[in-house]
Amino acid sequence: MNFADLFRATLPETALEIAALVVLVVDLGFLRKAALNLRVAVAALLGVAGCAAALWMLPFQGLGFVYSGTGELLLASGGSSAVAQIGILLLTALTLLLLADSTFTRHVGEYVAVVLMAAAGGLLISAAQDLLVIFIGLELLSLGLYILTAFAKKSGRSAEAAMKYYLFGGMSAAFLLFGFSYLYGIAGSTNLHQIMLAMYEWNAFRAAPLLYVSLVMIAAGLGFKVAAVPFHLWAPDTYEGAPAPAAAFIASVSKVASFALLISISTAAMHVFGGLNAMVTFEVHSGAVATQNYLGFAVSWSMILAVLPVASMVLGNLAALAQVSVRRLLAYSAIAHAGYMLLGLAYFSYTPRSAEAILYYVLTYGLTTVGAFGVVGVVERATGSDRLDAFLGLHKRNPLLAVVLLVLFLSLAGIPPLVGFWAKFNLFAAVLQVYPTGAGLGLVVLAVGMSAVSLYYYLQVLKRAYVMSAVDDTPIAVHPVTLAVLLLVATGAVLLGCFPALLQGWIAGFYPGL
Amino acid sequence: MLMQEEVTAAFHPQNQCLVGFAARSLWLIPAVPIVASGVIALLRQPRRALAAGLAIGSLSVSLFFSLMAFAHVLAGWMNSVAVRETVNFTWIQVGSAHVDLGWVLDPLSAVMLVMVSFVGLLIFIYSVGYMAHDVNFTRFFCFLSLFAGAMLGVVISNSLLLLFMCWELVGLTSYLLIGFWYHKPPAAAAAKKAFMTTRVGDVFFLLGMVWLFAQTGTLLFYNGGAGSMEPLKLGALLASPAGLGLSAAGAIGLLIFAGAAGKSGQLPLHVWLPDAMEGPTPVSALIHAATMVAAGVYLIARVYPLMQAGALAGGTTTALTVVTWVGASTAVFAALIAVAQNDIKRILAYSTVSQLGYMMAGLGMGGVAVGMFHLITHAFFKALLFMGAGSVIHGCHEEQDVRHMGALRKAMPLTFLTYAVGMLALCGFPLLFSGFWSKDGILEAAQHWSVAKGPFYMLVFGALLTAFYMTRQVAYVFFGEWRGHKTAHESPAVMTMPLAILAFFAVALGAIGTPAWPWFKAFLSDHAAGFEMARFGEPGLLPLMGTSTLVVFLGLGLGWWIYGGKSPAAEEPDALERAIPLAWGWLHNKLYVDELYGATVIAFYGWWAKVADWLDRCVWGGVVTSVAWLFRGWAQLNRLIDIHWVDGGFDKGCEELASGGGLLARVQTGRVQTYLRLLALAVVVLAAILIWSGRG
Repeated sequence: MNFADLFRATLPETALEIAALVVLVVDLGFLRKAALNLRVAVAALLGVAGCAAALWMLPFQGLGFVYSGTGELLLASGGSSAVAQIGILLLTALTLLLLADSTFTRHVGEYVAVVLMAAAGGLLISAAQDLLVIFIGLELLSLGLYILTAFAKKSGRSAEAAMKYYLFGGMSAAFLLFGFSYLYGIAGSTNLHQIMLAMYEWNAFRAAPLLYVSLVMIAAGLGFKVAAVPFHLWAPDTYEGAPAPAAAFIASVSKVASFALLISISTAAMHVFGGLNAMVTFEVHSGAVATQNYLGFAVSWSMILAVLPVASMVLGNLAALAQVSVRRLLAYSAIAHAGYMLLGLAYFSYTPRSAEAILYYVLTYGLTTVGAFGVVGVVERATGSDRLDAFLGLHKRNPLLAVVLLVLFLSLAGIPPLVGFWAKFNLFAAVLQVYPTGAGLGLVVLAVGMSAVSLYYYLQVLKRAYVMSAVDDTPIAVHPVTLAVLLLVATGAVLLGCFPALLQGWIAGFYPGL
Repeated sequence: MLMQEEVTAAFHPQNQCLVGFAARSLWLIPAVPIVASGVIALLRQPRRALAAGLAIGSLSVSLFFSLMAFAHVLAGWMNSVAVRETVNFTWIQVGSAHVDLGWVLDPLSAVMLVMVSFVGLLIFIYSVGYMAHDVNFTRFFCFLSLFAGAMLGVVISNSLLLLFMCWELVGLTSYLLIGFWYHKPPAAAAAKKAFMTTRVGDVFFLLGMVWLFAQTGTLLFYNGGAGSMEPLKLGALLASPAGLGLSAAGAIGLLIFAGAAGKSGQLPLHVWLPDAMEGPTPVSALIHAATMVAAGVYLIARVYPLMQAGALAGGTTTALTVVTWVGASTAVFAALIAVAQNDIKRILAYSTVSQLGYMMAGLGMGGVAVGMFHLITHAFFKALLFMGAGSVIHGCHEEQDVRHMGALRKAMPLTFLTYAVGMLALCGFPLLFSGFWSKDGILEAAQHWSVAKGPFYMLVFGALLTAFYMTRQVAYVFFGEWRGHKTAHESPAVMTMPLAILAFFAVALGAIGTPAWPWFKAFLSDHAAGFEMARFGEPGLLPLMGTSTLVVFLGLGLGWWIYGGKSPAAEEPDALERAIPLAWGWLHNKLYVDELYGATVIAFYGWWAKVADWLDRCVWGGVVTSVAWLFRGWAQLNRLIDIHWVDGGFDKGCEELASGGGLLARVQTGRVQTYLRLLALAVVVLAAILIWSGRG
């Protein structure tokens, strides 16, 4: 990959960074004396324009960098990366629009600039095919998220959440880098495809325990990003303390980017030698007596990824039952959803089926979560609390808001005909296609059972919104832009659910026929 | 049955890629009334004018698009092109399997579209007058619109699944409309009965549909050679056996026919249709005469390639033979019952069941065109009769018993004239009326049927009965002396104008289906139509027309001889009852079918429910209770062990844990030091697991 290619491949990121600088210049230079709501509007619109520009740049990245297997490949384009990048840009635009009547900060320009830079990090890791690029992208994204969490400077909770997030993230990043360095030591390359090839060489056989340790460390670093148990501990505190638009950003954009990265790794692992030897274990005989199983990359990676979803689904769903804060509830539900998606990664197919199903899931999940945090943000501003009781009688106080909440939460629970149902359906079908018996079947059964459990806590919120009588009947006013975004999201959840082939077909269109 | 099919060569099929504007905008036809229904549902109740305007306006739009589609097909027909334009799209994609939906524009759907939207529009207008005094006027038009949209959806469907969805929507709206006056217990019961009886058929329909999908992998009818009604898939269906000497095609055809029999009131699922007359009369006219009950017949016409698959030239298939016998039996059975009814709408209801039997028999013996022609003509004259009956009921102050009417030809001249036209069309009065030609087509097909002559004699007998009971009804209602309570009055123009329009068509439609100019048949089967008087000279045709004329006159004469010009009091027994009391009793009680079902199927379900209840209370309940006791005992044991064996220190530890909010809360301390320790611990444990798995 020469510099011209690299420049073309990073055009969308460049667009976002330029937009971030423009926002800063306009906000701090021209609008210093302007009213806050004008500054918010200008900054958000400039940010959305930046996302639009990046979207427009996407087709100019150039194609042909998919699975090429050459040592120099830094960034992929097309396929999963393109789907994830489009998703990231759209979700970023939505979270920026949710800023409409926010009052948590006076430094809007900086906020929008940080969001755009973090989104650029997200774009980078969705396409990254090299350990160093992955690490840089992850840090770019993570540092942005720490800052966003801390953005409500007057709120002690926000600062505390950011501090915990930062410390936890720092340690995870250290593990990740440590794991990467081991991996580089074993494979002698930082390129994913080269690493996968090197896994079948003598060096890797000999260093098998070291390989496992490094994979676990990498899993810890990436598990932190997607909030998989046991690397999830930051999530509830952060979701609770961060300003609502920032929490929406963390829950959606960061998720999409991280899962795109996991898909890249699993795809590279599956596609080594055209998928022939990926899931094979080797028996190494050293001397006459001792034999040792060598799991290779794909098998051990799948094993780690099979442990995390079990823990995430069980703990996420059960812990969510006990929450009284809706934000913490959403955090635990996010952990559970990450568990379902990791299940798809653990049983990954050579065909794009699994990648398509996971992308479908993470995109629609991101969409519904942005909406859910939007609703929570509105309710929080009106009642000053995000506890379950704050939602009492919502359908009387603002019927439209209640309808949006109903649609989004039922979609998260996976009730047909909403989009969340098809997301789960596709994902579980993909898992069963790869592994229709034994552990695969057992885990899918567990996942289905756990989704049934999840319905309970989603309905807890809806029960308060619809059934239980209100304590306070005063109507809740919603900023028209926020309302429009929320209605857009809810309509999307309904329409994509009624016509599931639309999004499926769109995603499948990014994969060349195999 | 195949006499005229060989007259001219079939048209060449249309290029599949050409899908014109008419076909692409076909979805608007059902969508507009459905949207209108949604808007009406959101209106506040008193907005009467707006609701009626929206419903009528939306159906006018549908009629406009239907006419446009019809014109498109007609233009193709004139240029000798067999128009069949489909628009298909994937609805659900699961791996490589996909479920497609779509719509189709061909002569069959075009004809049906025009009929449904036109008759529907007239009935909508009529309803404005009929329902003028009803409190729930807005709700009525909301349901009507939804019904019309769903019915039009059935018509345009190119996929059995889409057809089934609209079919169920039609069933739902039918339920809502029959039970529209739900405060009257009979209406509520009739709605429930209609819903559940048709559901019996629908279950078979669903089975047939699932089977078809399993066998062919598609539910589309036409899809450029890959649809389930096209030779490729039909061949595969024929090749796979289904037991009892049937191929899969035959078995699926029979299952689908069971669904059609439920909707179209065929024996033995006809019981709901007469009861459905508890609904408002426009509903009876729209749903239970012109459109919904015809949906079953239309369904059979739509899947005709499947029903016919495997038939040799001039031969028939098991499925079609079953359709024929069921149709012919229904025709005679219902006509017999109609003789002994006294409710003006019930007579018409049994007559509808009987005529639907004719249509089914026509489909079974003569092909799509014969059955569909009777469907179209019947839709017009039966809607006319129902709306005439509605006008009579309206004029007689909600009186429905024919014995309390009489001499209405003077009080309601316009209603009388139009009703007489409808009645003569139904009886099949020779040459002038459409019913004569469409019924004659069916009789002709029956005469040439290769399997048996039974249906022919049954249908001729049915024609005699039809003429007889209609004469009886007209004699009671319009002749003799007035036996009602208050004076009758003519209905307003908004009700009589649709009657006049329908009366015109009840006469005129005959012109497109005479043997001399069989335009309708030619149009549906993609042949050219020429005018030739010589076709009357075909062997057996004139004697047949003579026979049916004779039979009609016999029925009319007999009816007039017994009932004409007399005005027996309501309490007096019927003339026939005095002559043949035993048979009358059976017929008057609808041959005791309801009672039979009550004593068998319903009694069985009642018994089964009792058994299930007993099982639930005693057996399963007992099991659950004993399990609960077991666990309670186990818990008691544990408690004893706990108290006596576990020492206080452990208790104290447990309490502390519990007060801390359980294990989870212990982990989620909010202290970042704990988090980081746990992170490191997790890494160590995971690595240990992996290394351990790597050991031999």
